[in-house]
Amino acid sequence: MVTNIKFPLKVEQLETFIKSKFEHHSEDDLIFSVYTHRNKKIAVWGIKYLIDANRLDSALLAPLLDHKKAWKSSLLLNVIPVENGVISNDIDEMFEKLITGSVFIYIEGENEFVTYPLAQQEERSLDTSETESVIIGPQLSFTESLSTNLNVIRKILPTTDLVIEKLTVGKVVPREVRIIYMKSVANEADVNTIRQRIQEVDVDEIEDSSALKQYIEDSTLSLFPQFLLTELPAHLSYTVKEGKIGVLAENSPNAFIAPSTFFSFFETTEDTYLRWMQATAFRLLRIISIAIALFSTPLYVAIITYQYELVPTALLVSIGQSRSAVPFPPIIEALLIEMMIELLREAGARLPTKIGQTMGIVGGIVIGQAAVEAGLASNFLIIIVAASTLASFTTPNYLMGSSLRVIRFPMIVLAGVYGLIGVMFGICFLLIHLLRVTSLGRPYLSPLYPLRLQDFSQVFFNPPPNKKSERASMYRPKDQERFSKEDAMEKRDIEE
Amino acid sequence: MEINLSIKKGQRIRAYYLFFVIIGIQIGVGFLSAPRYIFEKAHQDAWVSIIVAYLFMILVTKVMFVILSRYENTDIFGIQVHVFGKWFGTLLGIVYLLLFTSELLSLLLSYNEVVQVFIYPTMPSFVMPILLLILIVYSVLGGIRIVIGVVFLFVIMSPWFFPLLYDPITRMESAHFLPLFEASVVDLLKGAQTTSYSFFGLEILFIIYPFIDNKEKAKRPTYLGLTTSALIVLVTTIISIGYYSPNDFDLLDWPVVSLFKSVAFSFMERFDYFIIAEWMMVVIPTAILLMWAIVHGTERIFQVQQKVTLYVVAAVLLVLCTFINSIVDIQKVTDFVTTFGFWIIFVYPFVLLPLVLLKTKRKVSKEVRK
Repeated sequence: MVTNIKFPLKVEQLETFIKSKFEHHSEDDLIFSVYTHRNKKIAVWGIKYLIDANRLDSALLAPLLDHKKAWKSSLLLNVIPVENGVISNDIDEMFEKLITGSVFIYIEGENEFVTYPLAQQEERSLDTSETESVIIGPQLSFTESLSTNLNVIRKILPTTDLVIEKLTVGKVVPREVRIIYMKSVANEADVNTIRQRIQEVDVDEIEDSSALKQYIEDSTLSLFPQFLLTELPAHLSYTVKEGKIGVLAENSPNAFIAPSTFFSFFETTEDTYLRWMQATAFRLLRIISIAIALFSTPLYVAIITYQYELVPTALLVSIGQSRSAVPFPPIIEALLIEMMIELLREAGARLPTKIGQTMGIVGGIVIGQAAVEAGLASNFLIIIVAASTLASFTTPNYLMGSSLRVIRFPMIVLAGVYGLIGVMFGICFLLIHLLRVTSLGRPYLSPLYPLRLQDFSQVFFNPPPNKKSERASMYRPKDQERFSKEDAMEKRDIEE
Repeated sequence: MEINLSIKKGQRIRAYYLFFVIIGIQIGVGFLSAPRYIFEKAHQDAWVSIIVAYLFMILVTKVMFVILSRYENTDIFGIQVHVFGKWFGTLLGIVYLLLFTSELLSLLLSYNEVVQVFIYPTMPSFVMPILLLILIVYSVLGGIRIVIGVVFLFVIMSPWFFPLLYDPITRMESAHFLPLFEASVVDLLKGAQTTSYSFFGLEILFIIYPFIDNKEKAKRPTYLGLTTSALIVLVTTIISIGYYSPNDFDLLDWPVVSLFKSVAFSFMERFDYFIIAEWMMVVIPTAILLMWAIVHGTERIFQVQQKVTLYVVAAVLLVLCTFINSIVDIQKVTDFVTTFGFWIIFVYPFVLLPLVLLKTKRKVSKEVRK
């Protein structure tokens, strides 16, 4: 076997060498064609399934063979109408480029070969979002192709102020990662932190951006996502305009956004498109839903098991009647039904969409109705579990929603063991934990603590657009003013 | 030991958090039984005692501020070493640490007692202390910023139950307050001294002062905090006096809890259970501030790693809570803390003030001041 070669050499030698390096791969995949042009042998090679065959024929081979004069490597670059041609004689680099879809031309007798990137990008077309659905506003979601995603972002934010930095992560499988931020708005310290954290990821490969996110998050032990994952370009551009930093990776239909606070997971871009009053009402509803999702079932368990004196007699009688057929303690009853709901959710997520829908309806009715009739659970509990499940699905962010659903289970156990005291312990622990979590070093529970009253209106409510003259100060943007308040709100007298 | 402390920028807190710190540390389990003990001493004039105690407390705070302002940036440990010299100053520092530890112990014991009496009579007495200590250790591990954060958040989240007092207010009996000013001056002062137990925690100012970023604004939030917690005690005491007959006070150990018994809605009643559980949120700020003071103080005096002190103190408290479980013993601990704390918190600053003024006037200490 030939271990190394030196230019110039015969085309046959080159062919044997390349094929010997390729011996474990399928021979058919490697195209190695030799043409004779003006008594000079020209070799053209590449990998079949990576190359755009149409362009190879029309843009490369046709001009190559139709040429009237004898070829030289340097001449190729000037004549062949394919962009980004490179002259090189580095054989190792050649193999690296070969597997990413480049085509090579070698003219016998020359000291180097010419490389043309002719890769064919296979990708799905842009589609509407599946995991984060919006009713009004842009529906577009990211795809797996980084260049498409960048194209979309640039189209939404056509400004030179938008910086898209390029980084590479992964030693064995290098993957392109992009940091996106507004130069005049984003906090420089934050940009440096995230760039440094990505550069310090020293692994063989990362799967995609959501895996990268887990490598660089502040705390891996916390149940809460510290960076916000989104598949909506509109959401990414919206937060980038606020001074946050977005990160995209090749082969990943998700971007993540840092720094993110706890409450930013309950904002949607839709809030901007709705009228501000409705948007405020819905956002408050989502924030209240956190409490419903987390505490309604545990409170039921605690009160029915230990502190039933809390319930007035009339209500207690009806709860007692519905529970009269149930032989289990409330904690078993609650865990059973919660488990069923989680099974339904997980199965619904795994099954094909068409079957999933049927199963959801059938499962819901069967479990709800039959569990009560069989005496496994009380009607009352079914209502409470349904409410808490619904509440957990109002969270616009899937990762945050699933965190909330997981936290419910230890809460139910605490309630079953220590009653109201247990629930209270859970609430206190959760709050202390949220206070301790940071996102890119910034407090997670901001603007609640550290207290920033001026940000309250933007986080908990959605003020009318003309009142939003300032960006939220908790992310410490470089430029806090969106627009000048004086210019935007001219004082007018009553019209005569 | 360095007299003056230099605190990193990331560890400093804004002055307005003092408002929450003061309320957080002053309102604890003692508050639940305060009306009863004050009533014991001053009867229907208990509210006068509270006002007297409040005025005295304001005076003490003024003295504390004067003492602290004589130095650049220090706490009680530094001041004592500076005034009394290394050995005696350290010894007095240890007295403070003991005060904090015993306050924390009494807090854990009395909350455990309330829970056992009202909700779980048969619960082993180590369960509640374990739950509380988990929360305390977890927050103190986060450092001063997290401690202040927990105090702030819990203080703003707890007072939702105050509107429920509308019900006992409508059932108040104005005759219970008559005759006015029947109690003698001695009784009133005794009542004021008993009230002081509810105002314990004031001494945290001596420890937390160097951490405040904008010291020139520290006074107003402190006085506002003191006033708010005094008002809370005053209002609940007045409601208690009006709501209960004098004989009731002999039977009720925690009159404030029982105040909530009468509130009833069509979907929920017996709010006293809720109050007991919710009180965990009121106890935690007090407890973590005390624990933080212990941990920080030990590091100041003995240069012990904070984590070591934290775990050791938590373990010792847990063992003590397990063994002290009879009502008589708990009462002994509380009585000890009441007396010990009264002298240290309310009397000692007046002793310290002239000494500090004398000491800081001398030439030698000029460099310490500036």
